[in-house]
Amino acid sequence: MAECPKKVASLIDLANLPTTLREFVGQSQISRLGCFIRVWSYIKDHNLQDQNNKNLVNCDDKLKSILLGKPQVDLAELPMLIKLHFPTEPKR
Amino acid sequence: MGKIPPSMRSGRLPIPLLRPPPSSSTSPPPQPSKPHPLLKTKKPKKPQQPSPSSTSPPLRLFSSPDLPTALSLLPSLLSSPSPPDSSSILRSYLSSGATLSSALSLLPHLPPSRPAFHLLLSLPSDLPTSLRILHLMSSSDLPPDPSTADIAVRSLLSSSSLDDALALVRNLSADLSSPPDQFTYNFLIRHLSKSRPISSVYAFIDEMRQLPAGPRPNVITYTILIDAVCRSGNLREATRLLSVLKDSGFKPDCYVYNVIMKGYCMVDACGEVMEIYNKMKDEGIEPDLVTYNTLIFGLSKAGMVDQAKKILNVMTGMGHFPDTVTYTSLMNGMCRKGDALGAVSLLGEMEEKGCSPNECTYNTLLIGVCKAKYLDKAMVLYGMMTAGGMKVDAAAYSTFVRALCRANKVAEAYEVFDYALESKSLSEVTAYSALESSLKWLKKAQA
Repeated sequence: MAECPKKVASLIDLANLPTTLREFVGQSQISRLGCFIRVWSYIKDHNLQDQNNKNLVNCDDKLKSILLGKPQVDLAELPMLIKLHFPTEPKR
Repeated sequence: MGKIPPSMRSGRLPIPLLRPPPSSSTSPPPQPSKPHPLLKTKKPKKPQQPSPSSTSPPLRLFSSPDLPTALSLLPSLLSSPSPPDSSSILRSYLSSGATLSSALSLLPHLPPSRPAFHLLLSLPSDLPTSLRILHLMSSSDLPPDPSTADIAVRSLLSSSSLDDALALVRNLSADLSSPPDQFTYNFLIRHLSKSRPISSVYAFIDEMRQLPAGPRPNVITYTILIDAVCRSGNLREATRLLSVLKDSGFKPDCYVYNVIMKGYCMVDACGEVMEIYNKMKDEGIEPDLVTYNTLIFGLSKAGMVDQAKKILNVMTGMGHFPDTVTYTSLMNGMCRKGDALGAVSLLGEMEEKGCSPNECTYNTLLIGVCKAKYLDKAMVLYGMMTAGGMKVDAAAYSTFVRALCRANKVAEAYEVFDYALESKSLSEVTAYSALESSLKWLKKAQA
């Protein structure tokens, strides 16, 4: 698979984090990919997937703080929700 | 899809080795210098040794790599009734942790011997050191011979660079009048054609031709060259080389044609493989298992599964057993034609015949059943892969994840993502990008 270098860069470049996210990941910089993996393993470690529908995540307070305060999120929208914290830099 | 997947490639290459070697002059193209006895002596220097010490581990003569201590031990060692030979002394000194440079300082105090020099040349070093050892050899009345050159070139190539190895060959040919032999020559050409443009390979061949006793290209050299130009997709040059090969009085063998056939598969001109096959038959060249596998691969890729199946019958008729590569190629062809279920049933058939499927087989089938929308079958296949600890390749992974997302099995797709990372099948970026784009597609479809 050919990967566009710009896209890869947006995934792996370290970004300065907003305060909420900084508290969640415990560091001041992380890449979008690293952040996704961190959140996904947090969900797995804390058993937050809904028992009846594994596609849904019941957020605990900590997770709520970074996912727009939603009580429940769909796994399918997780990448997009995380992307909100990583705005693309405006073109100069 | 379209390229020969690496797992399949590696499955294909060792095959000629499993068969009895055809004739000494025609070694399989991927390992052109394999029959060279020196290849074996490359890493452990043992076969160079006289028989008693060849099997035994290095003698424990030195307890530390300290040079003065070693020098003080030498006189008693050498004056013993049956002194160990120089290379045994050197080897045991090196095994105590000594560096090449301290071994070199020990060398003048030992009786000169060819194995001792060869031992030092085989160690990782740089160009000046190798040249110094070679000059020491000449001044000790042990002029470098072809095996010396071979050892030096191979070790320099693995520890330093190709340029250094070439410089060494030039030095050997000019100063010490010891041009490389056919094996070293082919070895160098193989490495040159892997990393350099073909023009610089030709320049090297011409340079060697200028030498009075320099090596000339032989069938194996031409096979390497044809393989190299085929890899870069230049089949016109491959055809030209084939005629040069014939003009120089060589008869193309089945390896030459295998390489050309593979070249046609790589440039997606798979239909041409039949022509090459017919040409081989016309010239009376016996196809081998690789030929048949390439044929079946090419025909399957070109969507000519029926013809591929015919070839399968021909090859079994000729006494060749279809192997994993054969079956996988055929499955690939059947999946392309939409006959994914037929391909899956072939899996059972191949296992019955005692031929075990590999990662590539499963990846091929996984893509096939996903594309044919048999998600349940895909889950079963994926389960077999995880149970066997097999890696998923990028194409199979993204096809499967896409199919799962389409069926709204997002949690399962996340599990596959986890497995791809856990089994180190894919990089995080590759695995995540495929997952993200599938999910994006799903969001759009739901909206």
